[in-house]
Amino acid sequence: MRDKGLHQVRFSTLGPYFRKAASFASLILIALALSIFVPRFRTLENLLTIALQVSVISILSIGMVMIIISGGIDLSVGSVLALAGVATSMLLSHYRGIEIAVVLGIVVGGVCGCTNGVLTAKGKLPPFIATLGMMGIARGVALIVTDGVPIFGLLTAFSFWGGGRVLGIPFPVILTLLLAIIGHVLMTNTPFGRYTYAVGSNYEAVRLSGVNVDRHLIKIYTVAGLLFGLAGTVLTSRLSTGQPTAGTGYELDVIAACVIGGASLSGGEGAIPGAIVGSLLIGVLRNGCNLLNISAFWQQVAIGALIIIAVFVDQHQKRKGV
Amino acid sequence: MRMWGYWCAGDVLAESALHEHPRTHKDMIGKKGANMKNLRISLCVGAILVFGVGCAPKTNAPPTPGHPATGGAKYQILVAPKGLTHSFWLTVKSGADAAAKEVNAEIIWKGPAQETDIAGQIAIIEDYINKKVDAIVLAACDSKGLIPTIKKAVDARILVITIDSGVESDLPMSFIATDNIAAAGKAADALANMIGNKGEVACIPFVAGAATSIMREKGFKDQLKKHAGVRLVATQYSQSDVATAMSVTEDILTAHPKLSGIFAANEPGAIGAAQALKGRGLSGKVKVVGFDAAANEVDALKRGTLHALIVQDPFKMGYTGVKSAVDAIHGKQIEKRIDTGVYVVTKENLSDPEIQKLIAPPKQ
Repeated sequence: MRDKGLHQVRFSTLGPYFRKAASFASLILIALALSIFVPRFRTLENLLTIALQVSVISILSIGMVMIIISGGIDLSVGSVLALAGVATSMLLSHYRGIEIAVVLGIVVGGVCGCTNGVLTAKGKLPPFIATLGMMGIARGVALIVTDGVPIFGLLTAFSFWGGGRVLGIPFPVILTLLLAIIGHVLMTNTPFGRYTYAVGSNYEAVRLSGVNVDRHLIKIYTVAGLLFGLAGTVLTSRLSTGQPTAGTGYELDVIAACVIGGASLSGGEGAIPGAIVGSLLIGVLRNGCNLLNISAFWQQVAIGALIIIAVFVDQHQKRKGV
Repeated sequence: MRMWGYWCAGDVLAESALHEHPRTHKDMIGKKGANMKNLRISLCVGAILVFGVGCAPKTNAPPTPGHPATGGAKYQILVAPKGLTHSFWLTVKSGADAAAKEVNAEIIWKGPAQETDIAGQIAIIEDYINKKVDAIVLAACDSKGLIPTIKKAVDARILVITIDSGVESDLPMSFIATDNIAAAGKAADALANMIGNKGEVACIPFVAGAATSIMREKGFKDQLKKHAGVRLVATQYSQSDVATAMSVTEDILTAHPKLSGIFAANEPGAIGAAQALKGRGLSGKVKVVGFDAAANEVDALKRGTLHALIVQDPFKMGYTGVKSAVDAIHGKQIEKRIDTGVYVVTKENLSDPEIQKLIAPPKQ
C-alpha cells in the first residue's frame, strides 16, 4: 500500500516511465522475435493491419487512461462503444449524412460519459458502480433500439472512416495518432492534465486548494465518453454493420492496455503513450498467435501473463526506490 | 430484462480480478471506512440483481387472446435460445409461435444476451423450473454445462427437449436440429467445387466447446479430406463476434496469401470474413461459404461478398420443438433425434420459392 499523503503528491513520477520503457522494450522484443520466426509478420502490410486492428482499442484506451489517472475506472466502455455505433448506423440507414451520423455517435458517447461523471462527482457513487450501471444500461438500450438485430446496408462511402487509406496508411491509424498526440499535450501541458494527475494522487488536497474538483471529474468522464463514441463510429464503419453486441469484453482489453502501459489503478499515474504501447503489445501478441495458428486460449493466457508481469516489474522498481 | 442483471454480475467478478485493490476514489467515499464501502457495493450489486429478477415475470409472450376454452389446459412452454440477437433465433421464435397457436400453448421466450453466457442460461432455466412450466425447449449454450440443470428439470417432472444445440446426455426426450456434421460436409463440398477442387482453405468455427461449433468444424474437416487437392491451412475461432472474425481473417490472409476459400461456421464469422476480404480487395477471389441466412448474409450473397450459405431450417426447429413437446405431454412417442435438414443457397438459387420461404425474415 502506498501512502498518498500531501507531501507525496506526484504530478508524474519516474515509475510509469520505467514501466512504459519496460513495456516498450517488450513490444520491440516480441516484434523482433516474431519477425525472425514468422517472415510474414514483418511485412509492411501486416504491420499496418495490426495498427488498424488495434486502433479502436487504442482510441478507447486514450479515454480510459485519463479516467484511470484521475483515480477512477470506466467499465461501460464496451457498451458505450456499441451504443454509439448503433446510433450512427441507425441514422445512416435513414439519412445520408455521414458527418451528422459520426457526430451523433460521438455525442451519444459524450452523454453517457457525462452521466458517468455526474454520478461519480455529484452523486458520490464509486466509479466502479456508476459505470457498472452504465455498462448494463448502454448495452441494454443498444439491444432495445435494434431489437437485437445488427444494422446493415450502410453507405459505401462510410467505409472510409474505418478502413479507407490516406497515403497508404489506414485512416483510423492516422486518427488514433492525432488523438494520442492531442491527448498527450492536453495531459502534460495544460491545467486540465495537471488537475487530472493531482485529483488521482490526492483528491482532498486538490479540493482544498480551491479547484472545482467535481466539475473537473465530469469533464474527464465526458472527454473519455466522446472518445468512446468516436471509437464506436470507427468500429461500425470497419465492420460495415451496427452490432449491438460489439465491444463485449473490451473493458478488459482497454484496462489491460492502460495498466501494461504504466497506469496505476489507484490513480495519479499513467500516460497516453503508455496506453498506446499497451494496446499495441496486446495487438501484436494476438496477431502473432493468429499468424502462427496458435489457439485463442493461449492468447488469453499470454495477455493475462503480460498484465501480471507489467505490474510486477513496476512494483519491483518502486521497492528498489527508483 | 433480467439477462442484464446476470450479465452485469458476471462482469463484476471479472472486473474485480483486475483491480489491484478497491481504492478508487477512496476520498470521495468519505471517512466512513471500508465496511461502509463494501456494504454499499454489495447493496448496489444486490440492487442490480433484484432489479433484474424483479423484471423476470414480464415475459414477452402475452397470452394469445381469443383462444376458445376447448377443453385441455393451456400449456406453458419455456423456449430457451442460446442468444437473442441473431436473426436465427428470431426465426426459431416464429416457428415456436406458429406451433403454439396450433396446439394452444403459451411460449415463454428467454435467453442470455451472449451465447457464451452459460451461467445466465442455467439461471433462466432454474427460475422456470421453480415456476413449474410444462415443458422446456432448449438450445444449450454448452454441451456439458447444462446437464445438471436439465436433470433438475427432469426430476421436477418437467419435459425437456433440446433444439439446435444439444447436450451430451440422454435426459432430453428428443434432440431436434440440423445434423451439423452432415451440413458442414455439404459446406466442404460446396467450397471445394467453387475453388475448382484445389487450393488452400481456412475454417472459422465460432466458440470452442459449443457442440454445434465442434460438429461443424469436424464435419467440414472430415469431408474436406475427400477432396485431395484442397488443403486446410488454418483454423481460428470468431468468438461469434464480427470484429474478431474480421481480425482473424485478416491474419489468416497475411499468413496464407494464396488462400482460395474460407468456411465460416456461423453468421458473425461469415460477415467478418466477407468484410475482411472486402477491405483487402479480395471479394470474389477468395470464396466464402457461410452458415445460416441472416438478412445481412443474404445481402452479402447478393452483393457477391459471400458465395454460398448453408441454410438450416430454424423455423422447423422452433415449430417441431414446441409441437413435439405438446405431443410428449399427451403421451405420444416422439423420436429421439429429428434432423431438420439444410439447403446450400447460392446467388443462383436464391430466388427459388423453396429457398425464399427459408430466408424470408420473420415478421415480428
